[in-house]
Amino acid sequence: MPAIESKLASILARVQKPARYLGNEWNSVHKDHSGVAVRMALAFPDLYEIGMSNQGLKILYESVNSRPEMLMERVFAAATDMEELMRQHGLPLFALESQRPLADFDVIGFSLQYELSYTNVLNMIDLSGIPLYSDQRNEQDPLVIGGGSCAYNPEPMSAFFDLFVLGEAEEVLPEMLAELVRLKSENLERKEILTRLSALEGIYIPALYQPVYDKGVLKGLKKLDSRAPVQIIKKAVADLDRVSYPTAPVVPYIQTVHDRAVIELFRGCGKGCRFCQAGFIFRPVRRRSRQNIIETAKALIAATGYDEISLSSLSSSDYPQIDTLISDMKEALSASRVRCSLPSLRLDSYSVKLADQLHQGRRSSLTFAPEAATERLRLVINKNISEEDIFTALGDAVKAGWQGFKLYFMIGLPTETDQDVEAIVTLCRDIRRNFGQKGKRSLNLSVSVATFVPKAHTPFQWEPQLSRPEVLERQQILRSGFKTMPGVNFSWHDVETSFLEAVFARGDRQLAPLIERAWRLGCRFDGWTEHFNFQLWRQAFQELDLNAESYAYRRFSYDEQLPWNHLHCGVNKEIFIREHRQSLAVDLPQRSGQ
Amino acid sequence: MMRIRFSFERKMPLAYISHLDMLRLFLRALSRSRLPLAYSQGYNPHPRFTLALPLPLGITAGEEYGEVFFADKIMPDQFINVLQPQLPEALVLTGSAAVDPEEPSLASLVSAASYCCTLKSSSSVTVKLELLQAALDRLMAKEEILALRKTKKNKTTYTNVRPYIIEVSVKNADQSKLLEFSLLLQTGSQGGVSPGYVIGQLEPEPGAGNLHAYDWQIRRERLYFKQNGSMQPLSERR
Ligand code: SF4
Repeated sequence: MPAIESKLASILARVQKPARYLGNEWNSVHKDHSGVAVRMALAFPDLYEIGMSNQGLKILYESVNSRPEMLMERVFAAATDMEELMRQHGLPLFALESQRPLADFDVIGFSLQYELSYTNVLNMIDLSGIPLYSDQRNEQDPLVIGGGSCAYNPEPMSAFFDLFVLGEAEEVLPEMLAELVRLKSENLERKEILTRLSALEGIYIPALYQPVYDKGVLKGLKKLDSRAPVQIIKKAVADLDRVSYPTAPVVPYIQTVHDRAVIELFRGCGKGCRFCQAGFIFRPVRRRSRQNIIETAKALIAATGYDEISLSSLSSSDYPQIDTLISDMKEALSASRVRCSLPSLRLDSYSVKLADQLHQGRRSSLTFAPEAATERLRLVINKNISEEDIFTALGDAVKAGWQGFKLYFMIGLPTETDQDVEAIVTLCRDIRRNFGQKGKRSLNLSVSVATFVPKAHTPFQWEPQLSRPEVLERQQILRSGFKTMPGVNFSWHDVETSFLEAVFARGDRQLAPLIERAWRLGCRFDGWTEHFNFQLWRQAFQELDLNAESYAYRRFSYDEQLPWNHLHCGVNKEIFIREHRQSLAVDLPQRSGQ
Repeated sequence: MMRIRFSFERKMPLAYISHLDMLRLFLRALSRSRLPLAYSQGYNPHPRFTLALPLPLGITAGEEYGEVFFADKIMPDQFINVLQPQLPEALVLTGSAAVDPEEPSLASLVSAASYCCTLKSSSSVTVKLELLQAALDRLMAKEEILALRKTKKNKTTYTNVRPYIIEVSVKNADQSKLLEFSLLLQTGSQGGVSPGYVIGQLEPEPGAGNLHAYDWQIRRERLYFKQNGSMQPLSERR
């Protein structure tokens, strides 16, 4: 396609980071479009550097491209400078591998990992020249599908999607594509094809259901076709050792957020922290065998040339005999001088030992997530570490030469009081007192405080988000507490960002026009501070007369219809209720307000 | 210990990645090639690999240089044969030689680079060659060309870049639709200037057309070292 090529060449010379749009990276897969039965573009609604750090994307790229009759190419959101030039020159969004326009593909699959990338999704559909809404698309248009953690409550976006994959897609996606090929060969219409695809496990076709409201309150979903399943149950891979893993992932030309090889140790997390969606939707815990991990790691390094490998999972210190695994790994990779890293450390002495085992050279900082600063609140959220554990672990780390800590907390957790927030300041002060004066160097503390966002499919899904004035007040407590503490780098999440996250995390289908309106007003890259413009969102709420507060700040009741009721993550509602009740029963006398 | 110096061509679209990304790309390719890299001493040992001169974003190159140390003996030909398959198509190894480990570093050797700069007119606006030549003569006749530069402390200062401009010539092809500049410019630790800056300084007569109406393509042709006061291509160094 010389037209797109020459246009692209002159555009690339004028954008800030042209390397984002080059494709052709090492290990990228180039297949002949006419030689396959089905063509899919995997779309990540954020910048290249972010998307290329996503392990799920690499897994799907492998799982589809390893099948000779299918091809998958990648596409990322165009940065704002690129978008402007593309629109000016009439260049449609194209896939990196073949530079073909997205409209040429059979399927466009969005990876939905973050609520604030929704406007980017609309922008990418629009830049492809495909109608925004599912019901406006015709037989020639690609199927627009979505998956990823946001697909566990996709309702705010469901009008823009033809299909969602619920759960882990590496097996079900190729199955779905194969079925699509079969149905297309029967010359069925788009609508019939979608209806028949709904028979596959883990496949959700939003157009087959219509929400029923009574005075603005969701009463349930009405099936529009008798063949539509009442409930869609998520798909999970049964045995990680038996599915293909990307041992030759694409190696980007430019630096990405996670610029290293990644081997997944296990999937799921047995800890059950009550705010954590990943902990529930990725159940059960499934381990990769040690032998598989070592072999895969060797293959990864041989095919990529990376000098670092991350032993990744939701809570890596929980892998059985992880210390043996690490020493085996180091031995297997010793010839190539590859470093290993553990991304998610538990806050205990054992994990500190692991970090020591892994880390030669300068020990700059270790990252932990205590989430809450009082033992009571940690019991509420089921993050069961004691103050003593924390101090022993940090003490061990300081002794081993670590020069700083990065600590993650949350505010706005259920039952939280001002005292719990003040305790964050006190805890950090005590840490500095205990460990700060040893030796010449002072201890670097970096404290990052997010605002709790209630998520679907967690015991806290019914809980309201802390209201805006209260969030601001509690952030103020922290700011003034940390102001007088030298050497502490305190950062917090923007209150409006967290609010929008909560709106979409618990939103329903009424939000689709809002997202469209915000996008038309110019919202893009809402997850990026430099682009986020809450004024535009507020304008969109007002224009559509939408009470967004009711999604974020309202307590949902156990017996009301949640927007995601028809989507089953594998954990029963009774368990969520039980967990929720238990959390509220922790140390009742200290609770305030309720 | 074995030191290999190599040359390579860098084509589009690899002009669009930064110097650091280029270093990473080579290191990963070397790691995949399993050639026996030598590592530096110290806390954080890293492979001993350098590229002679960073290439500004968007510029292609005909003959770049790099150097790498190996722990074991390897033959210069073997180096090319093993490494080339690990490199993207846009990077082509063009030569390699064993170099005395005591020889000065590439970065300290390189003192000039030649460029070919093609300006293609995308509109009907064109500049007459005679006017351009006159403008070029005026530029070269100057004793001082002051360029605003950033210093380390984030301040700005004026530097005279005229001494860094060694040679510039211009010719045209295709009825002024295509202008071709050849430049030899000083570079390296003794100071330097970029080809884009030099051409941007040209002021053809008012009304004679504007060089911004052209699409620019810059290619770095060769790297030079200084010998007995004159510039010699690096490829001539034995
Ligand atoms: S927060 Fe971490 S430890 Fe807790 S359930 Fe989630 S992944 Fe597991």
